[in-house]
Amino acid sequence: MQTWTELKEIQPLAGQMLVNSFKKNRISHAYLFQGPEGTGKREASILFTKGLFCEQLDGAEPCHQCRNCIRIDSGNHPDVHWIEPDGQSIKKEQILHLQKEFTYTGMESNQKVYVVVDADKMTTNASNRLLKFLEEPTQQTTAMLLTENGQALLNTIRSRCQLLAFQPLPPHRLQQKLSSEGVSESNARLLSALTNDLTEALDMNKDEWFANARKLVIQLIEVLQSKPNEVLLFVNHQWMPHFKERDQMQQGLDLLVLWFQDLINQFVGREEEVVFVQEREKREQASMQWSRQTATDQLSHILEAKRKINQNVHPTLVMEQLTLYLKR
Amino acid sequence: MKFTIQREQLMESVQHVMKAISSRTTIPILTGMKLEATAEGVKLTGSDSDISIESFIPAEEDGIVYVEGIEPGSIVLQAKYFPDIVRKLPQSTVDIESDNRLNITIQSGSAEFHLNGQDAEEYPQLPQVHTDNSFELPIDLLKSLVRQTVFAVSSSETRPILTGVKVQLDEGELSFTATDSHRLASRKLKLENGNDQTSFSSVVIPGKSLTELNKILADTEDNIEISVTDNQVLFRTKHLFFLSRLLEGNYPETSRLIPEQSKTVVTMGAKELLNSVDRASLLARENRNNVVRLVTKEGREIEITGNSPEVGNVVEEVEADSVDGEDLKISFSAKYMMDALKAVDHDQVKVEFTGAMRPFLIRPIDDDQILQLILPVRTY
Repeated sequence: MQTWTELKEIQPLAGQMLVNSFKKNRISHAYLFQGPEGTGKREASILFTKGLFCEQLDGAEPCHQCRNCIRIDSGNHPDVHWIEPDGQSIKKEQILHLQKEFTYTGMESNQKVYVVVDADKMTTNASNRLLKFLEEPTQQTTAMLLTENGQALLNTIRSRCQLLAFQPLPPHRLQQKLSSEGVSESNARLLSALTNDLTEALDMNKDEWFANARKLVIQLIEVLQSKPNEVLLFVNHQWMPHFKERDQMQQGLDLLVLWFQDLINQFVGREEEVVFVQEREKREQASMQWSRQTATDQLSHILEAKRKINQNVHPTLVMEQLTLYLKR
Repeated sequence: MKFTIQREQLMESVQHVMKAISSRTTIPILTGMKLEATAEGVKLTGSDSDISIESFIPAEEDGIVYVEGIEPGSIVLQAKYFPDIVRKLPQSTVDIESDNRLNITIQSGSAEFHLNGQDAEEYPQLPQVHTDNSFELPIDLLKSLVRQTVFAVSSSETRPILTGVKVQLDEGELSFTATDSHRLASRKLKLENGNDQTSFSSVVIPGKSLTELNKILADTEDNIEISVTDNQVLFRTKHLFFLSRLLEGNYPETSRLIPEQSKTVVTMGAKELLNSVDRASLLARENRNNVVRLVTKEGREIEITGNSPEVGNVVEEVEADSVDGEDLKISFSAKYMMDALKAVDHDQVKVEFTGAMRPFLIRPIDDDQILQLILPVRTY
């Protein structure tokens, strides 16, 4: 996404608002871009930063060729600061560094920009520090916080930013794109439900690990239905060896969420929304066994498990607890 | 870009510039060193974004040729390896050449290095110097100005503006002020070349930058030119440019803090006072604040005591040259007092007290340009 026009294709509302703030010269001191992965938040923040620094700005459209634009792309602009999670979270020290940076005058101009990627991953300490200079912005400083989960930020931070919601891309759009890239229809459905990003989806499609992950999820459901007593064995022998890393685990749980979502979709008669198209038989079987209410409860248990994984709870324990809930 | 350069000269410049380069930087290009060749000579630049140092090697000076065969151009190369390469080259001349694919060849005698460079366009642009907003000063004088004030800057980041030294030039009078809100150091200086036109409203230069500057400058009586731009300050000697970013924000108004009158005035030798406070603080150091106590006695005697209940106490009576005004008992931080006395740098000092709960001043007897102010400590 190189231009605002391209951005506006996928984010008509947010794109237009940002362009207008340029045109009317009403640039806020802090923006909060919230929206799911792959919705163009990072691209928007780069475009916006370029808009502030570009030497040959055409309306709101940066030139992408001047020194400033090139250096923003390469991360070498001295007055643009990117804060990204260092490991699991954004640490206090990173914000401290930023804070120090902003007590100094700019290196080249007095215009300064900072972008906090995955702002919801800030530790409480870091958030409170950031709050301090969100409250008292120095002159010509623009903050952009990018997050997938705006609700996870402190209220006090949210209230000090201009909120811009980045809409999830309509799944069928990506689905069409994937189909045109030669991905089978059922896979395209599943992938577009999992991610908004075309390249990531294509990577996942080729990935053998992902194919196995999908198989395992289906197997888990089977075990839950037919042999609930063996489910702990299944988790220990099959599931855990495959989902070794935390983010792999998250992906497995995402797949599980989709499956239960399908079940609920079937209950309410929205067959067209179903993701695991091929698993119709198993779903019907499941709908005999589990009521709509149970399925909803189970969904919330899975989401709870996802949260625990993020909080560094031991994955095996999380999984065991989850399956115990699910087989009830 | 291509040139042949004397290794000695290059080594010296590289060492200067390396002082500004830090390996821990968030901007990748700043791990590099910029080389720029023009018809006049070669310029090296290093920066950690807070301070930047430029070192210039002229093509020719006083008839001695340092750089030959210059083809203009510029490149950024890895600062991690360059100094060692230059140091270990076998011959006294070095050929440096870069091509348009950002490859650098360093050749000296039979040794040849190939390094990958980065585009000089990516390097931060240092501000252009506005010569109309500058003034000159002998280097040793600047160094003493810095030395006498910079120790008083705040080390805590809670009020970032106080980590800097306020520099102001007003009607030919230059003033440096630093405070950490418990003490204040200030030094004024009438500029000799009487250029009344240059004046800038105060700028705040980070204390860290000034300390660094003092380390780099040699003690000479050559002049240094100081220019202030919107967001940076430039110190320029003949071949060395030192740039520092400024601190943003308003420096607190300090002139009102300085008491106009005094109730007790003590004059005495700076060295005697310093030594006796030093002795008193030996025991007081165990105490949390390193507090010593000063009491005026009969005649010209003053008593300085340090007390730390777990360890013991120390009492010393010293004779002042004169003690005028009310009797006084006051406690203060020994460290602040010693810092101030060292900075005053005169044989005889005058200490002006305005009661036990009010700040007091330390000045040299015959020089009102230097001023140190300390807040007392409340003791029970």
